[in-house]
Amino acid sequence: MELSFEHLTRAYEGKTVLDLEHGSIKSGSRTGIIGPNGAGKSTLLNLIAGLDQATSGKIYYNGEARIPGEAITLVFQTPYLISATVEKNIAYPLKLRGWAEEKIEERVGFLCEELNLTGMRKKKAWKLSGGETQKVALARALSFHPRLLLLDEPTANIDPATTAEIEKMLIKINEEEKTTVVLITHNLAQARRTCDRCLFLKGGKLIEEGNAQQILAAPKNELTRKFIAGELLI
Amino acid sequence: MDAIGHGIIEAFKLIFSGDREIFEIVGLSLYVSCFSVVFSTCLGIPLGILLGTHQFKGKGIIVRLIYTFMSLPPVIAGLTVFLILMRRGPLGSLQLNYTVTAMIIAQICLVTPIIIGLTYNMVKEKAPVVNRLGITLGAEPLARMKLLIYEMRVGITTAVVTGFGRAISEVGAVMIVGGNIKGQTRVMTTYISELKGMGNYDRAIAVGIILLVLSFLVNAILYNFQERESR
Repeated sequence: MELSFEHLTRAYEGKTVLDLEHGSIKSGSRTGIIGPNGAGKSTLLNLIAGLDQATSGKIYYNGEARIPGEAITLVFQTPYLISATVEKNIAYPLKLRGWAEEKIEERVGFLCEELNLTGMRKKKAWKLSGGETQKVALARALSFHPRLLLLDEPTANIDPATTAEIEKMLIKINEEEKTTVVLITHNLAQARRTCDRCLFLKGGKLIEEGNAQQILAAPKNELTRKFIAGELLI
Repeated sequence: MDAIGHGIIEAFKLIFSGDREIFEIVGLSLYVSCFSVVFSTCLGIPLGILLGTHQFKGKGIIVRLIYTFMSLPPVIAGLTVFLILMRRGPLGSLQLNYTVTAMIIAQICLVTPIIIGLTYNMVKEKAPVVNRLGITLGAEPLARMKLLIYEMRVGITTAVVTGFGRAISEVGAVMIVGGNIKGQTRVMTTYISELKGMGNYDRAIAVGIILLVLSFLVNAILYNFQERESR
């Protein structure tokens, strides 16, 4: 799904936290959004997901201003799981979409296999560890084949092994299903491993965008360079 | 101590003797309490959800009033209902005072604020996060509402059982509007009160034990449900 935005702003009580002249997220890309705290990354993601309303400007999804809620999903840093079993959580979006029971079973089984959740299908959500919770949230988000997958720091506070599993899955669904992936991360190594494009935001503005490897290795903008070098003060 | 021990023994004898009057009183108590709790649940849960999910002018005052009514003294509820239903009251023409209907109305006044208040508090906490989840998974507003109710199922059950506890145990309101008329409006609590006044402690203890057992059973069902849901 191709995303573009023009003159997009979001202000809270008169204070502008996001002010993007223009920008885009290419269809089928794995775009990393990086930037210091308060840069407006989560605000942008919430606007794209339809969880918040822009103060001005518009976001276009494949050229249309309407949010295709049925094709977009967002995985939060601290996901909320329904107080039910792992498999019921993964099946929930499919039930909403009226899938047949056999198809649901097949899809849940596949995702559990892919994310090493098969042994805990009957486990209750509140008994899962942080990493398991995040994997279930990812499986649930992927269950209905979204065209746009948004992730807000999905691997913060998660062990390296689970982080690797999640990153592998993101690359796989992007390559095999052409799902557009937008990932907010503070982990630059993760951005290097996972993303092919990158947006750098600071103070609510888009400072630099382009090829992830190029931006992370040799940024053109001085602010981006300082951020990557760990020299940028907020 | 002997009097209490003797009273308990006599109470059990009375319970197992199949005393018709006692079982009629128990039946009426359950009928009045269950009916008022079902009505209060049907009214209180939607109102609690509405209050928790909408912002409007005067909401703060309404919430404070509901919190106040959650601890409304039963005699005040009873007196208010009595005054409204008395012959010269606004609804006097209905001639409902000293009837089971009046007792149910009084209990609804006591139970509904409890269910609204407890539901409101749950919704306030759960609705934002459940709503966000629903939107991100493509759920329509009705589906999000269903999900919210599902997520609050244990809390809703607790609110209903709390309301039942209030209804089955209160004496002031049903005494005022029901009048404790033998064979018509006599329930366990008003009967215990009368028996104590007459010095008939054996019978008072017997009814008290039945009341406790009923309360225990309802709470045991709630406990089992909570355990099953958290296992």
